[in-house]
Amino acid sequence: MNSRIGGTGRASGRRGARGIRRTAVAAVAVGALTGMLAACGGDSLEEQGSGSASGGGKGELVVGAAGFTEAKVMGELYKQLLSDAGYDATVRTVENREIYAPQLEKGAIDVVPEYAATLAEFLNLDENGPDAEPVASSDVDATVAALRKLAEPRGLKVLPPGEAVDQNAFAVSREFAEEHNLKTLSDLGESGVEVRIAAGDECETRPFCAPGLEKTYGIDVAGIDPKGVGTTQAKQAVKNGTDQLVLTTTTDATLDNFDLVLLEDDKRLQNADNVLPVVNAKDAGDQEIADVLGKLTDTLTTNDLAELNRKVDEERQKEADVAAEYLESKGLIEK
Amino acid sequence: MSTRQNCLVENAWICGEYVRTRGQELFDATVQHVGITAVSVALGVLVSFPLALLARRRRSVAGAVLGLTTVLYTIPSLAMFSLLLPLFGLSAALVVTGLVLYSLTILVRNILAGLQAVPEEAVEAARGMGYGPLRLLWEVELPLALPAVLAGIRIATVSTVALTTVGAIVDYGGLGTLILGGLDSTFKAQVLTASVLCVLLALAADLLLLWVQRLLTPWTRARRPQRSRTRARAEKVAEPA
Repeated sequence: MNSRIGGTGRASGRRGARGIRRTAVAAVAVGALTGMLAACGGDSLEEQGSGSASGGGKGELVVGAAGFTEAKVMGELYKQLLSDAGYDATVRTVENREIYAPQLEKGAIDVVPEYAATLAEFLNLDENGPDAEPVASSDVDATVAALRKLAEPRGLKVLPPGEAVDQNAFAVSREFAEEHNLKTLSDLGESGVEVRIAAGDECETRPFCAPGLEKTYGIDVAGIDPKGVGTTQAKQAVKNGTDQLVLTTTTDATLDNFDLVLLEDDKRLQNADNVLPVVNAKDAGDQEIADVLGKLTDTLTTNDLAELNRKVDEERQKEADVAAEYLESKGLIEK
Repeated sequence: MSTRQNCLVENAWICGEYVRTRGQELFDATVQHVGITAVSVALGVLVSFPLALLARRRRSVAGAVLGLTTVLYTIPSLAMFSLLLPLFGLSAALVVTGLVLYSLTILVRNILAGLQAVPEEAVEAARGMGYGPLRLLWEVELPLALPAVLAGIRIATVSTVALTTVGAIVDYGGLGTLILGGLDSTFKAQVLTASVLCVLLALAADLLLLWVQRLLTPWTRARRPQRSRTRARAEKVAEPA
């Protein structure tokens, strides 16, 4: 063993020149790695800064978006409108509301495209615990009023809602619908068939998901399969028959691909999930921002939204391109 | 043009049009992925060296350090990033911190194993020649431990390349952001392309480090026929979920 050490010493002495060259090459490699690392690190750090209104324009705004197509498209629409109005806007796409909501309150995110009823219930449950009385309903104005009451103390400003509405909707496979003769959710309740729901795990507690299906429609819920809301995996599970019911939305353009049909919400279990901008009051509470985003809110319809989703999910256009094309076609931004 | 467009619309797994139209996105994601991985492993090495040195001194410290880093390793990655979120906000620092914590168990164990495998005779001979503790560490122990240390860094790097993708939940996941986005909207070309790039990245990083290892430890090659293989010892640990 001792000889190894000696050997090392002798070896390095013998081929000193080669050794030096090797060391130099290794040093260059390490240097290159460090350089790459520094460059990337710097990039990421720059992106972090938000709210600090240095440089040209009217200041930085971070638009938050959840990780599904519609939210990403809405995020792009907001970003491009705000950029057009002179703000330095960027989109930050995160997985879900549980992640972006606290950041919106803190001001790390300034603007978020939201759904009136879903956000109202999210804040309601957060504020008043899991047994809170529901505040959202199928009435838009009442829902938005309730939302404002919950959002304002948290430093959030809720801008006026528009006509576009993306409600939760439940779909079954065409085969399953024919077998049990289902057109509405009431039919499903009356059929007495036990169903497993492919949805987010929050379905367990949200009043318009499992609890509502049981109470309002008398549907026998066997369990929740936490595959996410309207995700491919969720739809695939229903197509395969692993689950029977999938939670998706009225603006879902891909149901046909999975041979799924929507069941009508005939007892109006679903709340007024109209699309509206929610902003951090301190960073983005200006009337100007409200006016810029308001133009879009007033223009956008449910069909527009479904069509935008379809262009991204079916035609595989980029969210940014689809958003730009829409805004230009409606004359909301200059070409 | 129309046939080219089709592979996007048809949602094919392999789609040249995808790579052509999203070249910039793929490049940016790869750069971010490399950056997050490199920073994480570098910080991981910086943190685990003192920990391994501490652990070597005392058995009780070793138990605590190894136990703690292993417990950290068992935290599911989604939970880890969610737990760190209130501390770091939506930033690359959040993902890097999580990845550093995960790399510790691999790195500390390998550095420790490398140092412990240094032959006692070598240490004693060096002491006899009048080496102080620092010189002993730097000139005798570290060079001898290098193969094991570098083997650990290679495992940690490959593991970190894979884990970086989970950063997608906060928009700092490099190629993972594309994979997650593609999965959410069944975009097969995006999922496959980003996944393949991720695997290539892991392979490239592994080969690069292997090359660095050979440059830094030429003596292991000189003795290859007899016993060099026993040197590069690495402890492999299961990957967290």
